[in-house]
Amino acid sequence: MTDNTDNTTHFGFQTVPESEKAGRVQGVFGSVASKYDIMNDVMSVGIHRIWKDAMMDWLAPRAGQRLLDVAGGTGDISFRFLKRAGNAHATVLDLTEPMLVEGRKRAEATQKADQLDWVVGDAMKLPFDDNTFDVYTISFGIRNVTRPQEALNEAYRVLKPGGRLMVLEFSQIPNASMQWAYDRYSFNVIPVMGQIIANDRDSYQYLVESIRKFPDQDTFLNMVRQAGFENAKYRNLTMGVACLHSGWKI
Amino acid sequence: MTDQSVPAFERRMLEALICPVTHSTLEYDAAANELVSPGARLAFPIREGIPIMLVDEARKLDD
Repeated sequence: MTDNTDNTTHFGFQTVPESEKAGRVQGVFGSVASKYDIMNDVMSVGIHRIWKDAMMDWLAPRAGQRLLDVAGGTGDISFRFLKRAGNAHATVLDLTEPMLVEGRKRAEATQKADQLDWVVGDAMKLPFDDNTFDVYTISFGIRNVTRPQEALNEAYRVLKPGGRLMVLEFSQIPNASMQWAYDRYSFNVIPVMGQIIANDRDSYQYLVESIRKFPDQDTFLNMVRQAGFENAKYRNLTMGVACLHSGWKI
Repeated sequence: MTDQSVPAFERRMLEALICPVTHSTLEYDAAANELVSPGARLAFPIREGIPIMLVDEARKLDD
């Protein structure tokens, strides 16, 4: 892996060599794994559940589909998908082993063990054949990928023709005063809550910084199109605090 | 479930994986519990039933 040593990327507000980002992200999520779900609840005041349900509403899972849930961590999206689809299959892929171990322990995972696979892997180098999946989801994960465009290109590759991409990610509020208020909350409140609940202020400091650094709705939409997706669209959630991007491999 | 030690659904999962570097088929080494990519000269470990498909975590086959 010597080809990227001169390139840099964002790790929150720090600029780090690309070769270091994956390891640092593993550090963040390895350290927060067991308290990740409860932290999500606290940070978003439970709103992340509404966003994930909105994702499922737009996705409309169907029986027989094969889902690849990248950065699927503790299985949150996959469980929702299987619940709605009925007889379907989900592969949960994450960069971080402790997140998957945590997910596999959950009751939903035990009940649906034969419908779920758990794989540690890199979103930019997926260990799956071309044209394998009907649906590709990545929920609050793509901003942690070193080169998001490469992850989108890989998503396109592993989807079957007719397959669907759906990205849920924090985004930018298209209103300056709302953004100001939101910044005060995220930079002042979230790291403190991370300290109190997970005893890990730095990881949550990284989370809020990485949200602010991520491309806005239209920039990301162009990246989705760049990967080859057709009929690409987005929907803002909670005024743009989060956003859903959808695209089809035709 | 057959007489083999790996459950059927796990075997199907392992068979669906390809080498993330060469995109070629992997060989399952049951004794070492690894997925071997002869082309990339890498062996990907399986820990507690979870395949670790990261180049950085793979064992290099340079012997």
